[in-house]
Amino acid sequence: MKKIHIIAILMIGLAIGLLTMAADDMGTYATFQEAMEIKGKVKINGQLSKDKDIEYEPEIDPNYFSFYLKDPAGEEKKVILLAAKPQDFERSESIVLTGQMKGDEFIASEMLMKCPSKYKDEEIQIKSVSTAQVN
Amino acid sequence: MEYIGEHLLPGKLGHFFTVLSFVISLLATVAYFFATQNRDNDSYEGWRNIGRTSFIIHAISVWSIIGIIFYIMINQYFEYQYAWAHVSEDLPMRYIFSAFWEGQEGSFLLWMFWHVFLGLVLMKTAKSWEAPVLSTLSLIQAVISTMILGLYFYTGDAEPFKLGSSPTLLLRDVMNVPIFNNADYVSLIKGTGLNPLLQNYWMTIHPPVLFLGFASGAIPFCYAVAGLWTGRHKAFIHAVTPWALFAGSILGTGILMGGAWAYEALTFGGYWAWDPVENSSLVPWIVLVAGIHTNLVARSTGYSIKSTYLFYLLTFLLLVYSTTLTRSGILGDTSVHAFTEMGLEAQLLFFISLFTALGFGLYIAKSKTVPVLKKEEGGASKEFWMFIGSLVLFFSALLITFTTSIPVFQKTAELFGKDLNITSPIDPIEHYNKYQMWIGMFIGILAGAAQFLRWREFNWKGNQSKFMKHMIGSLVVSALFSFLAAQWINVQAWQYKILLFTSIFAVISNLDYLIFYIKGNLKAAGSAISHIGFGLMIVGTLASGLNKKFISTNPFAQKGLIEGFSDEDYQKNVLLIKNRPMFMNGYEVTYVRDSFENVTRHFEVNYKKRNEKGDVEEEFNLYPNVLFNKQGTEIAAYNPSTKRYLHKDIFTHVSSLPRSDIDQKYRKEKEDSLKYNLKEMVIGGKSEDEEFIYELINVNRKPRHLDYKPEGDDLPIGVKVKVTSKDANKEWIAEPMLVLRGMMLFSYPVIINDLGLKVKVPEEIIDRVLTSDEKLNYQEFQLKEGDRFEYKGHQIHFMSFNREPKHESYEAKEGDLAVSAVLNVITPAKSAPDRAEPVFLIRGNQPFNLKDEIEEIGLHFRFANIDPTKGTVQLMVAKEVNDNQNIPVKFAKDVPQANFIVLQAIEFPGINFFWLGATMMMIGLLMAMFHRLKTKHASA
Repeated sequence: MKKIHIIAILMIGLAIGLLTMAADDMGTYATFQEAMEIKGKVKINGQLSKDKDIEYEPEIDPNYFSFYLKDPAGEEKKVILLAAKPQDFERSESIVLTGQMKGDEFIASEMLMKCPSKYKDEEIQIKSVSTAQVN
Repeated sequence: MEYIGEHLLPGKLGHFFTVLSFVISLLATVAYFFATQNRDNDSYEGWRNIGRTSFIIHAISVWSIIGIIFYIMINQYFEYQYAWAHVSEDLPMRYIFSAFWEGQEGSFLLWMFWHVFLGLVLMKTAKSWEAPVLSTLSLIQAVISTMILGLYFYTGDAEPFKLGSSPTLLLRDVMNVPIFNNADYVSLIKGTGLNPLLQNYWMTIHPPVLFLGFASGAIPFCYAVAGLWTGRHKAFIHAVTPWALFAGSILGTGILMGGAWAYEALTFGGYWAWDPVENSSLVPWIVLVAGIHTNLVARSTGYSIKSTYLFYLLTFLLLVYSTTLTRSGILGDTSVHAFTEMGLEAQLLFFISLFTALGFGLYIAKSKTVPVLKKEEGGASKEFWMFIGSLVLFFSALLITFTTSIPVFQKTAELFGKDLNITSPIDPIEHYNKYQMWIGMFIGILAGAAQFLRWREFNWKGNQSKFMKHMIGSLVVSALFSFLAAQWINVQAWQYKILLFTSIFAVISNLDYLIFYIKGNLKAAGSAISHIGFGLMIVGTLASGLNKKFISTNPFAQKGLIEGFSDEDYQKNVLLIKNRPMFMNGYEVTYVRDSFENVTRHFEVNYKKRNEKGDVEEEFNLYPNVLFNKQGTEIAAYNPSTKRYLHKDIFTHVSSLPRSDIDQKYRKEKEDSLKYNLKEMVIGGKSEDEEFIYELINVNRKPRHLDYKPEGDDLPIGVKVKVTSKDANKEWIAEPMLVLRGMMLFSYPVIINDLGLKVKVPEEIIDRVLTSDEKLNYQEFQLKEGDRFEYKGHQIHFMSFNREPKHESYEAKEGDLAVSAVLNVITPAKSAPDRAEPVFLIRGNQPFNLKDEIEEIGLHFRFANIDPTKGTVQLMVAKEVNDNQNIPVKFAKDVPQANFIVLQAIEFPGINFFWLGATMMMIGLLMAMFHRLKTKHASA
């Protein structure tokens, strides 16, 4: 057997091993219920509750942004994102969060928003003249 | 319905050329196919010529489509969906390219454009390889052409099958809205415009380079197919090298530019985030680099021909895979920058399946004809270790692809009715780093050591001691440098210490190789430079990644509140009040001022670093900005600003603004809840309450305000007010204003933030200060130039005509006949005379007159007519004095603070090592390409 073959076999073995290990890192989407049972960080994919409070008061804490999210099971929880409120937030349809439950609140360190395509649902804009605001 | 104002011809031409480009590329494929099959007989030339002609017609078609789309975009024919979606009236011309490739169709065209360009170069230079290579390339072009065909196939009642998405579709064919009931809809609609996040010069330069990289990555694939097809395996190995090196360099540069864009212009806070979209373009590059290494082995020794084939085939397939991932919308949940889906999934799947079947099918069928050396590579040979290096690279690609493809596994399982419930790792950066770190170590060692080995273990016995000397020397020097670097970079984990060492080893040993081994022979220096670059790049990654530091943390914030979160997780932003310095991590940071320019708000943030004595050691300003949407109501983008030093960068961006600055509804609510007190004062008069003393300094008819932009017929009124705080015994000046524009009133209030006091001019002021024309009792005078007359105690002298009149509300237009009467007014009670210049104007056969007034003495003038026969003018004069009236001003207290920014500031030490190293890698590849081109010419 050639050296290269031995090395190739070793590498294939290693590859299988590493890929199995890598597969352990795979995230799964949890519900709030599951997140309560799991210690450590999870991902949650849900819908923004647009009728509930969206709170960001940088005067008090610029790293505290809270809103309510409904998970796929229909459960609604308060989410606290430890960052500034991103632009376009209200427009997002579905949200993917990374974080963990603390008490009855979900503390998120990462957030990915899925906004509807900028053009899809937008109405055709009609030319208009006045843009200044009236106070 | 008959529509007015549509330009239908470009659309029809565009559609014609799309269909033509598709059909003719198929013809080119077939013709070149037969040319290849008949390469040894007389019919070769005939077929080749048909192939050439077809490919050239294809090229012209592609250029024509591109030209037509630019034409409809530049002329803003919004009846076309593509123009409507990507340009707008106010989009600066310099973004027209960005707008062109913002959409999927445009970026497909950009890709095709480069294929065509490279195809023409090949036609000129590839000689015997022309037919098979261009046959494959034409087939690739045919498949990409289908992406923009826009043909619909109706099968019964079902939804029509859409083949491609045409960039020349009309808006009314895409959208179904009532406006299309209006025959003249074209004159009513306006474009949506380029996404403000993409209004950036990186968007102009990154896509063309990346797509040139994509396109050139297809060429080694075409050569591989050609080599297997014609059985010229050894010739293939030689012909393909420069192309592979070129592709490696350009694709790498394209990816790097993406990183530079993310770092410099976006608020990601880094250049690489292991995002699936980023990964999917990195993977083909890694495989291509693996291929380049086996290619070089094969050139010199005859080993590794098969693996070269496989790597090059795989490179292109991975590029197509990357396209599929990015454009199908499958990464929507896991990536921050994927396209939204467009219904091209089936076609993309066909694209990748077709070429996988073609490439690997051919490989399996022909692999027996590929020469394989019987003798085993020697354990001390260069080829052996280079091959190992390529395998390690391939390994890296495999691991990255595996994790990046998780959404694909999930989707595939879903298709079979199974929900795996898997997604990308919770912490992707840690996940990827954990594995790629080991790859980095291997590569570092191999990149250094393999340089000193010789092909086929040539004279190993004699060479051995020299090899050992260089190795030991490099190891010792590297250890020393690593020790020093570890003092600078705070490396904790032992794995990172090893990685730092191996990277420095790659740098040092290649420097040694460059200087002492090949004695600075630049022709052969490409590989050494690339490998030094690799080492430096990893050093830069370690330095900037491990020691990345948030400056913007508030030292008073409570720490460690939440388990499982680092302090960094929740202390990235600080609130910075205007002109109130804040100390953070060694810097004294002050938000100094802000200013508006169209829809961009610029901020000036001052950084000072003081030494122990308190002297300023280092001071600089950064200018992050915030881009609003066209209406000025919402934030479209936060743009960072970076201070660059040789050894570190300080990166800053605004991450939020006061809510009243960004939320119009909220601002309105807040405004409505304010309680205004009306104060009436004469000029110079005062008023007071428990807290403040108010003084009206003047009334200004030409006021200025930050947000006010004068328009033609404006009637602006401003006041200047002095407010004195009784507590602080300090004074503030406010100059709010009001504008009457036609029938509309616009108010421009002023907030004195330190006092929480808002000052505005109420509309009642208009009746007090402005005299409406109807109320005036004009008296008429017929005058000749030079006439004098008296009016209510004023001596008025009509001095002359001015044929180039200047008037606040007059802007000269071509064809205007405009003249003013220059009047000199002497008032007995005043020492100096006043001037007035009412204007008479004929524009398009219509007479107009623009009044002038001398506010102080209350005189109003109109130049009403001119009688050319008599040489007289008709002048109207009226007097109305508004003296010593009470002027109303409104004040509201307890206005919320709105003079702060939320700021993020990050220090990236050693980031320039990353840029320098990565750039050196690409330059090294280019140098190697030129070197191979020269040796190829020399041998030919």
